[in-house]
Amino acid sequence: MKDTRKKRPKPEINMTPLIDAVFLLLIFFMVATSFAPIPGILVKLPPPGMPQSSQTPQNLILRISDPDPGVPNGVMVLNENIISVDRLLVAFQAATLKQKEMLIIQSGRSVLHGQIVEVMDLAKRADIKKIGFAMVARESI
Amino acid sequence: MDYKKPRRSTMELMMAPMIDATFLLLVFFMVASQTRVPPSFPVELPDSLTRHAFPMKRFNLFIGREGLMSIDDSMLQNFDELEMFLAKNKKAIETLIIKADKGALHGYVIDAMERAKIAGIEDLAIGVKEAPGGIMID
Repeated sequence: MKDTRKKRPKPEINMTPLIDAVFLLLIFFMVATSFAPIPGILVKLPPPGMPQSSQTPQNLILRISDPDPGVPNGVMVLNENIISVDRLLVAFQAATLKQKEMLIIQSGRSVLHGQIVEVMDLAKRADIKKIGFAMVARESI
Repeated sequence: MDYKKPRRSTMELMMAPMIDATFLLLVFFMVASQTRVPPSFPVELPDSLTRHAFPMKRFNLFIGREGLMSIDDSMLQNFDELEMFLAKNKKAIETLIIKADKGALHGYVIDAMERAKIAGIEDLAIGVKEAPGGIMID
């Protein structure tokens, strides 16, 4: 006797849309991911407690005044001498090893962050090991 | 003459290994990706020749030119709010990256550093823009 039953087609899962979606997700994550490190300057804060008073005559002390209206940068005074940004690197490099232990920046609150980073950059280039920010102690906050 | 052509097998592309590799890549990128979250205000970082390199992390403190502050994309109203946020997330923050606009006042950056110290965070980084010909330091 001849078997007349119809052969059932094999059940198959259609994988194509899934693979399409996976490829789209892959492309999204590949584009959105960034492995490039962020450039920055490392800052180690002193431990909590009493503020450190490491200001000694041996250190380099840079005072930056609040900028006048219309002028981007404040006037800088390095150990009692007025100095321009162009000469700051040479002055840092000419400092003694003892002086290069630490640079203390005493700046007004209105000095722009860009000027401070510029000074920190020059100090790092001149191999100054530590940079400190002088501030006025408050009663409480 | 009885000549039989050998039957050609149908050409098939093996898709399974490629799909496996794609899934692996997908999982890798999903795990490794750190989405960049820009603040809602413009921040132009100062240039610096010397710099360290930090892996991209969460918890970037943005300080704008006008004194606006945000941690990643969530705005902060004042320094008290910043201190509370830092104290709450102290364990998750390895290094707080301060990305201040070059036109922001230094006083704001100092205040932020002070609040970070009060909250118990000791490692900070000041975000800079790479100047051409820069020097990477340890």
